[in-house]
This record gives sequence, C-alpha cells and structure tokens, in this order.
Amino acid sequence: MSTNSIYRDLLLDHARHPKYSGCLEHPDLKASAFNPLCGDELELTLALSGETIHDCRTQVRGCSICIASASMMSEFILERTLSEVLQISKEFSKSLRKDTEDIPETIESLRPLIDLKPHRSRIKCMRLAWDALEDCAAQHQT
Amino acid sequence: MQHHPLASKVRDDFPILKREINDFPLAYLDNAATTQKPNCVIDSLLDFYSTHNSNVSRGVYTLAEEATEIYEEGRESIAKFIGATDSGNIIFTRGTTESINLVASAWAQHNLKTGDRIIVTEMEHHSNLVPWQMAAQASGAELVYWPITPEAGSTSVGLLELEELEELLTDSVKLLAVTAVSNVLGTVNPIAKIVEMAHERGIPVLVDAAQAVARMPIDVSGLDCDFLAFSGHKVYGPTGIGVLYAKKERLDEMQPFQGGGGMIRQVGRQSSTWADSPQKFEAGTPPVAEVSGLAAALEYVSDVGISEIQKHEKELTAHALNRFAEFSDLELYGPQDTCDRTGVLSFNLRNVHPHDVAQVLDESGIAVRAGHHCTQILHERLGVAASVRMSFGIYNEVSEIDRLFSSLDRARDIFLD
Repeated sequence: MSTNSIYRDLLLDHARHPKYSGCLEHPDLKASAFNPLCGDELELTLALSGETIHDCRTQVRGCSICIASASMMSEFILERTLSEVLQISKEFSKSLRKDTEDIPETIESLRPLIDLKPHRSRIKCMRLAWDALEDCAAQHQT
Repeated sequence: MQHHPLASKVRDDFPILKREINDFPLAYLDNAATTQKPNCVIDSLLDFYSTHNSNVSRGVYTLAEEATEIYEEGRESIAKFIGATDSGNIIFTRGTTESINLVASAWAQHNLKTGDRIIVTEMEHHSNLVPWQMAAQASGAELVYWPITPEAGSTSVGLLELEELEELLTDSVKLLAVTAVSNVLGTVNPIAKIVEMAHERGIPVLVDAAQAVARMPIDVSGLDCDFLAFSGHKVYGPTGIGVLYAKKERLDEMQPFQGGGGMIRQVGRQSSTWADSPQKFEAGTPPVAEVSGLAAALEYVSDVGISEIQKHEKELTAHALNRFAEFSDLELYGPQDTCDRTGVLSFNLRNVHPHDVAQVLDESGIAVRAGHHCTQILHERLGVAASVRMSFGIYNEVSEIDRLFSSLDRARDIFLD
C-alpha cells in the first residue's frame, strides 16, 4: 500500500472487521440513511437506558469508508447520552469542513476519518452512519 | 500489435490530458459521464467572450448581429450533424435531461390521458425515466418496462429483444422512450428497427442519444424518430448546452415549455401568443457561447471522422473484453460481443465496493466512475447496488486500459485478505 493511500491500517481494520455490525432485535430507536449518489444504505438501531445509549448496531451496504465510519461511531457512542453524541456528531461535521483546521480533543479518536476530508466525494460515505444517528436523536427529542 | 492511430493523433488537441494525477499521467476513462474538450472548443468559447459577446436577436448593433449569426449558424451545423433537414427542428436546451423534460412537459402532459401507456426500458438513465414518471403522474398514464434479457449464462446479456417489444406495443401505448446506447451496459440498441415497429402502430419514439452521439453516426431523417436528445458535453463540447430534435408534426402538438422573453409573439395583460418553433421553446437568454462551442466540437468530430472513432472504440472495447476474460473475480455487465456494445464497460471486483475500487484507481491517476450511474432500476435488475464504469473517448489508448487492469491488483491487495 502506498504512503499516500487513504486506506490507513486502522480504517481498514474497521472496514474488514466492523464492530457492532447487524441489527438489534428490539431497538428503542432506529433510523436509515441513504446515499443517493451511489445507492449505499445503512440502518442504525439503538438501545437506550434512560438517555444513555447502552447498545447499538449498524447494518451497512456501503464502501469501506462508510463501514469503517459506522464501526468507529458505534465504539464511540456507547455509554454516552444522546445529547452528548449529537454534540459530537455536530463537531465531527464541522471538522469535515474544508476551512476547519483544529480538531477538538473530544473527537480526536475520529482523526483517521477526518484526515480523509480532502477527498470531498467521500464525505457522504463518512457521514452516513452519523446522519442516521442524528435522525435517531431527533426522533427521541420529538 | 499495431494499434489504431486515432488516439496518438488527437491527444495533443486536449490540454487536460497533459495533467498528472497523484504523480501518474491522467488516464481519463469516464467519458460516458463527460468528455474532455479539445483546444478548438476552448478557443471558440474564449473567442466568443473576447470578441463577439452580446445577447441574441435583440439588438441592431454589430455585436448583437454577430452573436445572433453564431447562434443560428450553430443551429444549422448541429442540424446537419444529426441529419435533420431543417434547423427549425433543433431546440437548444441545457442538456439531455432538459431536452427530455421539455418533451415530457410540453408534449406528453398535453397528449396523454388516464389509461395511456409510455414504454421505457430497464436500461434507461434516470433522465429518460423520471420525467416520464412525472408526466404519467400528472396525466394518469402509466409506465411500462421493456425488460432487458437475463444475465445468466447467455451471450445475449443486457439486450432488448424485439419480440418482447411486439408484445408491449398495444393500442394504449402513446410513446416509446429508449436510449440508443446504454450508459452502463454499453448495449447498442437497434433504434431504426424499434422506430419502425412503433411507427407501424402510430406510436411516437423518443431517442436518448446522450451516449450515442460521440460514438456513432446519428441520422434523425433516416431513423425517422420523433424526438432525439443529446448533450454537448458528452461529444467534446461545453457543459450547459443540449439539443432536442423534434419532428415537425410533434412540434405542432407541443405547448411552450417555459414562459419568458424570446418565446412570445405578442404579450397582452392577461395572456400571450407564442413565437414559432424553435424559439417558442427557448425562453430567456440562450447559451450562445455554448452553442458556438458545441458547433466547434461537432466540426472537430466530423473532421476526425465518425467511422474512425467507431473503429478505434471497437478496438479498445475488444481489448477490454479480452482483459476481463482473464479474471474470474471481475464481473462485467452487458453484452460480451463488440457487435452488440460499445466502449462503456461496467463491472465489479468481487467483494470490493466500487467506491473503493475507483479510489484506488484514482491513486494511480485513473479516472473511472463508481456508483449506480443514474440507473437504479437497471442496477436493481443486475442485482447490485453499484458498479465501476470505464468508458472510452477518442483519446484513450490500449495502454490506459492495461494500467487499469494492473491497478486492480492494488485494490485486491488492500481490500482482500
């Protein structure tokens, strides 16, 4: 693999062996996200205890970046509250903007994904799982 | 082996091909999406804006007359290129999509009623599908799909069978919309025969020539089609310019598409009357520079020679088909014979997502498309969500195809354990 490859080891590891893959049988919240550009789709199921996400699964039909992002997100959001992860998702979005340079410490572990932001065509792949997460958070609020 | 000399002859005409991408020479294999532009097209845009720029048909001063002449001469040369006898049958649009929407809105919605049918095929681009869904919903008509041949184990993969069409051509069919060349399978459809069969039953035919226009001769008079649509940017011309050819009888049945300047005869306080065709369908300031660029592109293509382009593309396609046959982990969609197809080849590398394949190829300077290529119905039919597509232009070389196949090894190394 060449040094300029966007496929870093960590991402590849997540892509090949995604964490929390699948569907929860009795989720408290469920959301789908769809990438109309390539037809990829993802379903996120969450189990809550109070406000806290205590289990989650993602079912992904997508590329390696999409799968890796969903896997990293799942690790990241467990045992956090919905409002906390919503805030994280917003920070992640902001960090993917072209003109954002600093990455807040809170999302340092997402840096391998954020490093891919020059590949603008892959932003949607990275965001698919997070879009579903935001959808879940919105459902919970209403 | 002696290769067809076309690519080496024309490559210098395309400045973008000198670019390096990720330290590799650019191998541009996404010509079904858009083609690169030769110097003569770039120069014509530059020349228009630096020398002749003004609005058309609205001034008596020298520049306005020059711009009007460029615009109307462009219409003449485009009519000639596609074999239309009268430039009055040529309507300028923004592209194939707008051309088809124009027919759906200005013709179909006024000529369809509940119970009518529109035949489309399973291989249509969304631009030759969604406008018909909208027209059908507005008029109470319905879409009927002409299926493609099954992909399992036959050489007649991804073709349209005329026997199937025979069954579908019932009295309630009021339009048949079909692509001349599939933007995914590369299939070349027997348009002349299709038009003949439809016309025997008095059914108008719209031909989507977006992929065909840069790959084969187009003769609307010979085909006798009712409508034909294409985009300038897929035939080495600028973006933002498209063409709709419509037969006189159909033009007479059409209501205006958009209202505004240029399309009126007289405007009253409550209602207006319309200009004659084609101005009736060209509201607003038209894309004059783009028309001049498209005319330059079509002149360039004519100078190169459509038959030379066909020979060259056939050689590239045959080479690619041979290379596909070497790899059991590559699944190629569409006909396997160069007689039935052209240089648009979609495939999947087993167990690797098309996005990932395309990204790895880009790291070697190879530009291909990954996704559903605006054909969700077709991909559903093929049983895959997406595919990788390589598609050839006049400047592509056999060596670029070989580079693609070599680079697929990198994708295998990265993604397959």
